[in-house]
Amino acid sequence: MKFNFHVSPSLRGHLTTQKIMAELTLGLLLLFCLSCYYYATTYGSAYLLHVILLLVSSLVTMVICESIFAKIYKKNPIEYLKTSFGWVTSIILTLMVPATMTCYALIVATIFAIVFGKLLFGGFGQNIFNPAGVGRAVIFAAFTGAAANGITTGATPTTTLANSFNWLPATSEALDSFLNQFGGFGNLALGFYDGALGETFTIAILLIGVWFAVRKIIDWRVPVVYLGSIFIMTAIVALLSGIDAYHGIPGFIWYPCLHMVTGGIAFGAVFMLTDPVTSPTSAQGRVIFALGAAIITVLLRLKANLPEGCLYSILLMNMFTPMIENALDGKQLDIKKKAYVISLCLGIIGLAITFYASSSIEPVTSVEPSSNTAYITQEAGL
Amino acid sequence: MSLFLGPMHHFIPGHKDLTDKKEILHVSPSKEVYIPLAAGANMDLEVLVQEGDKVEIGTKLAVTRSGFYVPIYSSVSGFYRGLKKRMSASLKPIDHMVIELSEVQNKIQALKPLDYVSASHEECVEQVKQAGIVGLGGAGFPAYIKYQKTDGMDCVIINAVECEPYITADYAHTMQNVSRLVLGCEILKKMANVANVYIAIKKTHPDWIQAVESQLQSKDGISVRPVPDVYPMGWERVLVREILHKEYDRLPGEAGAIISNASTAMAVADAFEDGDAIYQKTVTVSGDGIKEPHNIVCPVGTPVSELIEACQGYTSDSVRLIAGGPMMGKTIVNDQFVVDRATNAITVLKHVPDDEIACLRCGRCSDHCPSGLQPVRIAMAVKMGNADEMEKRGALSCIECGLCTYVCPSHIDVTENVRKAKRIVSLKKKKA
Repeated sequence: MKFNFHVSPSLRGHLTTQKIMAELTLGLLLLFCLSCYYYATTYGSAYLLHVILLLVSSLVTMVICESIFAKIYKKNPIEYLKTSFGWVTSIILTLMVPATMTCYALIVATIFAIVFGKLLFGGFGQNIFNPAGVGRAVIFAAFTGAAANGITTGATPTTTLANSFNWLPATSEALDSFLNQFGGFGNLALGFYDGALGETFTIAILLIGVWFAVRKIIDWRVPVVYLGSIFIMTAIVALLSGIDAYHGIPGFIWYPCLHMVTGGIAFGAVFMLTDPVTSPTSAQGRVIFALGAAIITVLLRLKANLPEGCLYSILLMNMFTPMIENALDGKQLDIKKKAYVISLCLGIIGLAITFYASSSIEPVTSVEPSSNTAYITQEAGL
Repeated sequence: MSLFLGPMHHFIPGHKDLTDKKEILHVSPSKEVYIPLAAGANMDLEVLVQEGDKVEIGTKLAVTRSGFYVPIYSSVSGFYRGLKKRMSASLKPIDHMVIELSEVQNKIQALKPLDYVSASHEECVEQVKQAGIVGLGGAGFPAYIKYQKTDGMDCVIINAVECEPYITADYAHTMQNVSRLVLGCEILKKMANVANVYIAIKKTHPDWIQAVESQLQSKDGISVRPVPDVYPMGWERVLVREILHKEYDRLPGEAGAIISNASTAMAVADAFEDGDAIYQKTVTVSGDGIKEPHNIVCPVGTPVSELIEACQGYTSDSVRLIAGGPMMGKTIVNDQFVVDRATNAITVLKHVPDDEIACLRCGRCSDHCPSGLQPVRIAMAVKMGNADEMEKRGALSCIECGLCTYVCPSHIDVTENVRKAKRIVSLKKKKA
C-alpha cells in the first residue's frame, strides 16, 4: 500500500493544453480545407496541389527544426514535439501567405518563425512575438516578389482598396466599382477572392471564433474588443469624412463592414491576437492589448504604405505585453480602476487617430478600375 | 463575468451522489481513541486528568494554557493512558491523549444546558466557549470569538455550501435533524444580535433547501439563500460577494456579516439543549480510491484506518489519502492519523502521476482566482526570486483554495507556487 504525497489540491480539471491545441488545430485545418476548395474550384487542381505542398513543406520544416533543438537539449524529439505545438505555428503561417507563394520562401519563413520566433526564446510558452507573425514579417521583408512558377492570381481587395481607393471609397459609385471587381459584399464575406490562403472567408473565421470562444479555446474578449473597436473607429471615420450612403445603407454601417470583410483582421483577431503565449494573462490586460492592436491596425490601414495593418499591430502589441502586465500587477479588484483609466486613454488616442485619418485622407469619389491588377499581389495578407 | 474580470469561480463536478443518499455508518473505535492535544494551531494545552483516570463521554480532558480559551472533552468512556506522539492531519507529529475504551459507554453532561431565550448575550457566548466549539468548516478557529463583539453586524450567514467535491458530511449531519440546525440558527441570531440569518445551500441540493425551509415557517428573519454550484462558493469572501454583493478587506465583519458553518450551528444547538460538547463527528469517506464510500459517525479521535476498514478498504495500491476534501485537504502519507473535531472528510483518490508541461500563459488561473489574484504573475515573481513583487502581486491574500491548479490546462501546481511566495514574503516580513 502506497500513500503518495501531493501538494494540494489533489484534483485536476479535464481541460488540458493538449486538448486546447488539438481543437485549435482542427479549426485551422477546417479553414485550410475551405481555402483548398476555393482554389481547386476556381483555378484547378494544380493550384490545389501547390497549396497542399505549401502546408506540407512548412510542417516538414517545423518538424526538422524542432527535432534538432530537441536533440540539442537532449530530449526525446517526439515527446518534445508533442508539447511544443509547432504545427499550430506552421498552419497559421501557411494560412497567412497567398497561393502564389513559393515553397522555398515559406520554408525560410518557417525556419525564422520556429527558430527565431520561438525556440531561441526557450521554446513554447517563452516567446515574446507570435511566431507565425514573425514568419510572415520575414516574407514581407524578404520575399515580396517571390511567386511560384505558373501560379498567378488576381489583385486582392486589400491591395486594390489600399492602392486605388486610399481605403476610403466615399461614394456609392466608387464603392460599386470596387465591389464589382470582387463580386460584392457577399463574395467578400464568403472569401471568394484571392488573398492569403486562410484569411479571406470572414464568415467561416467568425463562426470558428464563436466555437472557440464557447469552448474556451480562446478568450472571447480579444476578438470582440479588437473587431468592435475597429468597427467603431472606422464608423467614426465614415461619419467624419462624410461617406455617402450605399443603396440606403448609411456610410457608418457599410464602411466598417467593408473593413471587416476585407483582408485579415478577422483571421488575426481569432487566431493570432488570441495566442495566449504572446498576450497578457489577465482579462484586463487582454482588453487593453486588443484595444491597442485595433488602434494600430486602423492607423496602419488608413495611413501607412502597407496595404494591411493587422500583422504589424499584433507584433507591436506583443512588445507591449510585458509592459501591460507590469502595469496591471496586483489584485485584479484593486487595479480595475487603473485598467479602466488605461482603456479610456487608449480610447481617446483611438478617437484622435480617427480624426487625424479622416481629415488627412482624400476620399476617393470615382475611380476607373485600375489597370495595375497584377501589382504586388504578394503583399496581400495580414 | 465581465469585460475586465474573469468569473472568479469555477464549476467542479461534486460526486456528491457517491455518499449523500447512502445510509450513515456508525463506527466505534476497536480499542483506543487518540484525541489530539491541540486547539487549531495552538499546542500549549494543560491536561486535566491523570494517567489511569476513568473518563466518560463529556469529561473535560484538557484546556489551553495560552491564546484563546478552548477546552477539550473526552469522546468516549474509558481509561486515560497518557500522551503519545502521533502523526496529525496537519502533517506534524503532535501529542495525542490516549483513551482505552471501556465496555460500557456512558455520557455525562459536559456543561449545563442553557435556555437561550432567557439567557443574556454574555451567557450565550460563555456557553459556546465552555463547550469548546471550534469552527467546523475546516479551519478549527474557536467559534465564540466571532460573537463576542457584534457592533455593526447586520446578518449571520450559515455556511451549508460544502463546495469541496465529494464531501456530504454537513448534508448528512443536518438532514438527520433539521430542527436542530434551525435552533442553532436562532441561537446564533441572538448571539450576533442581528435581524437576519441566511442559510446558504447549493441550488443543486433542492431536497436540503426544502427540508430546511419547511422548518422555517414561523421563524422571522431566517431564510435559505440558494447559491450556485461553483467552487469555492463556501469561502467567506465568495459567500459575502454572492449574498450581500459586498467586498471586504480582511474579515467578513467589515461587510457586517458573521459566517458560521452549518455543523457549527448544530454543535451550538447541542451545547444549549443537551449540554454536549462535540464528542462525535460525521465524516465523509469518499473518492475514487475507496471501495464503498460512506458517511460515518464516529467519536473524535478514531484512527482513520478504522474508517477505511468500515468502507471496505482501498481500490488501488497507490492512493492519495487526504485529510479533508480533494481541493484544500492535505495528503497524509499514512492512515494512522485520527478524526479531530474539525475533520469533516477523508478523501481517497487514485494516484495519478504528474504530467506538467510549459505554461501557455492562458490566464485561466487569474480569471478564476476568487481572491482576484494573478497566480501566473506570482509564479513568475517566484521564478525571479523577487520577494517585493510577490508581495505587490498580493500573494498573502491567497487562501490556497487550489482552484488555480485545478483549472491549469498545463497541469502546473500553480497553488504551490503561490504558497512558496507566501512563505517567502512572510519570512521576509518576520526578518524586517
